[in-house]
Amino acid sequence: MESAAASAAAPVRPSGGRAGQSLLRGLPLLPSLLLLAVFLAGPILYCVYDAFTDAQLTGAAETHFVGLDNFTRAFGDPDFLNALWLTLVFVVGSAVVGQNTLGLSLAVMAEKATRPVRSLVNGVVIAAWVLPEVVAGYLMYAFFYQQGSLNDVLGMLGLPRQNWLYTLPILAVCLANVWRGTAFSMMVYSAALNEVPRELVEAAEMDGAGVWHRLWHVTLPVIRRSIMTNLMLITLQTLSVFGLIYAMTRGGPGNKSQTLPVFMYQQAFQNSLIGYGTAIALVLLVVGALFSVVYLKLLKVEED
Amino acid sequence: MATTDLRPAARAGRSGGAARPVPAVTTARRRVRPARVAVNLVLLVISLLFVLPLVWMVFASVSSTASFELNLPSPPTLDNFHAILNTETTFRPLLNGLLLCGGATLLCVVVSILAAYPLSRYRSRLRRPFLYTVLFSTGLPITAVMIPVYSMFVQVELIDSMAATTLFLAASALPIGIWLMKNFMDGVPIVLEEAARIDGANAMQSLARVVLPLMWPGVTVVTVFTFISMWGNFFVPFVLLLSPEKLPASVSVFTFLSAHDQTQYGQLAAFSLVYTLPVVMLYLLLTRKLGGGFALGGALKG
Amino acid sequence: MRKKLLAALAITVATTLSAAGCGGSGAAGGGNSIKVVYWQHLDQNDKKQQKFLTTMKTSFEKAHPGKKIEIVPVTASENDYYTKIQLMMRSPSTAPDLVYEDTALINSDIASGYLKPLDPYVADWADWGKFAKAAKSAVSSPADGKTYAVPDDTDTRGIWYNRKLLEKAGIKTPWQPRTWDDILDAALTVKKKLPGVTPMNLYTGQAGGEQSVMQGFEMLLYGTGGAGDSLYNAKTKKWITGSQGFKDALEFVHTVYGENLGLPKSAALGANAGTEVGTKLMPENKIAFNIDGSWMANNWLETGPHPWPEWSDTMASAAMPTQNGQAPGKVSMSGGWAWSIPAKAKNPDLAWQFMKTLKNRANSTAWNIIESTTAVRTDVAADPKYLEATPTNKFFTSLVKYTHFRPALPKYPQVSNAITKAMESVTTGQSSVDDAAKTYDQDLATAVGSDSTAKGN
Repeated sequence: MESAAASAAAPVRPSGGRAGQSLLRGLPLLPSLLLLAVFLAGPILYCVYDAFTDAQLTGAAETHFVGLDNFTRAFGDPDFLNALWLTLVFVVGSAVVGQNTLGLSLAVMAEKATRPVRSLVNGVVIAAWVLPEVVAGYLMYAFFYQQGSLNDVLGMLGLPRQNWLYTLPILAVCLANVWRGTAFSMMVYSAALNEVPRELVEAAEMDGAGVWHRLWHVTLPVIRRSIMTNLMLITLQTLSVFGLIYAMTRGGPGNKSQTLPVFMYQQAFQNSLIGYGTAIALVLLVVGALFSVVYLKLLKVEED
Repeated sequence: MATTDLRPAARAGRSGGAARPVPAVTTARRRVRPARVAVNLVLLVISLLFVLPLVWMVFASVSSTASFELNLPSPPTLDNFHAILNTETTFRPLLNGLLLCGGATLLCVVVSILAAYPLSRYRSRLRRPFLYTVLFSTGLPITAVMIPVYSMFVQVELIDSMAATTLFLAASALPIGIWLMKNFMDGVPIVLEEAARIDGANAMQSLARVVLPLMWPGVTVVTVFTFISMWGNFFVPFVLLLSPEKLPASVSVFTFLSAHDQTQYGQLAAFSLVYTLPVVMLYLLLTRKLGGGFALGGALKG
Repeated sequence: MRKKLLAALAITVATTLSAAGCGGSGAAGGGNSIKVVYWQHLDQNDKKQQKFLTTMKTSFEKAHPGKKIEIVPVTASENDYYTKIQLMMRSPSTAPDLVYEDTALINSDIASGYLKPLDPYVADWADWGKFAKAAKSAVSSPADGKTYAVPDDTDTRGIWYNRKLLEKAGIKTPWQPRTWDDILDAALTVKKKLPGVTPMNLYTGQAGGEQSVMQGFEMLLYGTGGAGDSLYNAKTKKWITGSQGFKDALEFVHTVYGENLGLPKSAALGANAGTEVGTKLMPENKIAFNIDGSWMANNWLETGPHPWPEWSDTMASAAMPTQNGQAPGKVSMSGGWAWSIPAKAKNPDLAWQFMKTLKNRANSTAWNIIESTTAVRTDVAADPKYLEATPTNKFFTSLVKYTHFRPALPKYPQVSNAITKAMESVTTGQSSVDDAAKTYDQDLATAVGSDSTAKGN
């Protein structure tokens, strides 16, 4: 039964063979190819070129080709390396661990919860997601700063007030990003869990498998593809988070929450070093690609 | 291989969806009530944590002396709303935002549906490289490309044009749009299409009549997702539009921020509430039609 | 290659879009209209500048029939404002005819070729002689000596102190410290006598940006032995490294935060220190004195973000002393904004006509009063109407003779950034004063090139 269903559901048909036909079939791709080529490919290529120049928005009239200078400068710059490290911490901490795990847990628990509770948790988690980024940034600042609501709550509970944005700003921005982005993972996993075959879980239950065992050995392997999709998307999104961090800490104190997008913005627009800033953006692109490759390898999912 | 694991699962889940929860609930009630109470409690605590940051916004918006501290407004006042609810700060920017982001979202969704179809249905050597290029390009911060984009827009005299800005916004959202849409379309079994094909429908007809209705939840996900990311985008419209009367709400929010640090918190909070409203409404509108958040999520599998 | 690519793209876009019937709006052309661009920021939330410019526009258009002035506010953070106007000035089709800039940025834009020299215009303008010399030098290029802007306003910096709190702590008022030590002594006294009161505020750290550098660090640095040459020697055209003055200034910052004389470190280094001080701690009588700008009272006016009618009875001001009281005894820093005509402006002559109206004596006086900024015209600075408009105008105008302008060079923003980094690391105690100074020297060399630095004393 399984193999029959599989072949029936396989989304790909071998192409007819004639060149004319495959061109015709590709026709619907045209509008998007056009939009992407005109509006994105051009500027991105231009950016790649800029990354090898000393382009400035202000301060110099001429632009020179400088070869790999921007990249060697970056990798010799402790601030850049710090930003690279913090970006990894931020992505792993807030997306891979935070949003992903919390999203999965919420989805698993929501399945077992009563309906009103499920609706409530869905509602508030999604509310955080739909807030525009800059608004979320200010809310998170109000939440974490020293006289903020989080410390009020800790105070009420008799716990020591923490100086979140000062002592561990990267933790604060990670938590903020978890708050803002968990909804996406939660939705992905709710959907995926909904489609785990009931029989599989029940069979495992009859075999006496515990909750964790069932989750680890039955559920997770089945939703592997969703896990990969989710990880890829939240990683790429988290890599380019700027507004949230900038509104909360400006990358500080010092450079303790300065991730690559913040560092890039400061170099490109505050210091007006467009060339250097663009080189940093390209590094960010490579980091994203590396993450994606790792996911593909780890989860052994083939894109097809 | 992975696909074969998932497809039957998907179909079992869908067909059994209506009947399944009932026995699950009754057995759960009988057997593991304490576990269920615990789960409910944990979820309530998490909900509370998620809702706390929003409390500040609500309080500050009706307070006359708002700061970043959480204070009960005494007495509550609507002054902040009176101050911001005017054409220049709120109404016109909201309308502009709806035109720009609404137009761009629509365009992005339509174009990515078209693109997703051949990507999902036909095999080609170019498909994989194309998909990955598209995916990786989503990792580039859009701020980095804005300077070349500006130069380009100036050269062809498109600067300060809302239509061109809309096109650019649509293009910048396309990579993720195409990628998500293709994934959703993969979930619609091809057999269903074959029947239509036998009846003489061409590819576009079967896309419109068979595939789209089945992946409607996926379409809404892309719609909401695209709209949200555009609605909060400050830099693109700020750089590409020059006339103040064309700027959207994501730019006018800066009326309340920064500069000698004299932020008007009350007005900022009031504006934020108004500014968030369209997104919430869009979300509710689309999910209401689909029967709640789960249906929306239902399309979001791999 | 690059040009070709761009051109190809351009053509594609143009054809795509013109087919869709949505060509660009084009700029307001013709010889009879000009576009005036300025930064609309929050402390003008009551739109002071917009109202003022609109009245200017109306009266100008009435006096010059057929001419049209378009006022274009840009709402954004300061950085993004610059990004936008710099982009606009790059091409003739988007360049404004008159643009408002911080004097600190002007040299950078001159170097990029964005601005038009105004010498032929000012040569025929009698009023130009009335502008203060220091202000004029802030808008002229050290490279070619030409004038690129007409100064709009300026500001000075000093110490704002809470008279009642100082008296309560037993410090005699009016208070005028003679040396840095006097300041630290007063702060220590307040700390001892008035628990719960923050003795003083000295802006610091990266989040504060230029606020930390100008109100904080440079007020100290320019009061050390090197005075006006402490940061950059205009004669040798070298940036100064390794000077004792630099270390002394860092040491002062270190002492203030090490001895807890300032705000709690987290607040001082936070993104909202300025708001905290100006709209909370000061009006709530929780801070004894604050080294800050002449505009502080704007916070407390009826139209400001935190109305505080009692401020004029409570707050007083003192000048910042030099390190050891050495001549001239006082120090201040000035910034300010100016109007420029972009090099690619379509209608510079009409822009200049409007500029002359905007900056004539009567309108300058009106503007300085509205904005409570410090006058740049000597005739306005002596005008009783201006001097009496705000209780502190007289005092802060008197500081103009002790004031310094920043080395407004293209590299300055990067240097400023390096300073905030050094300040932050001694504020947190992450590094010693010597290490922070050393790091600064390295950052400076990276930013300006090591052949543009020289060892100071």
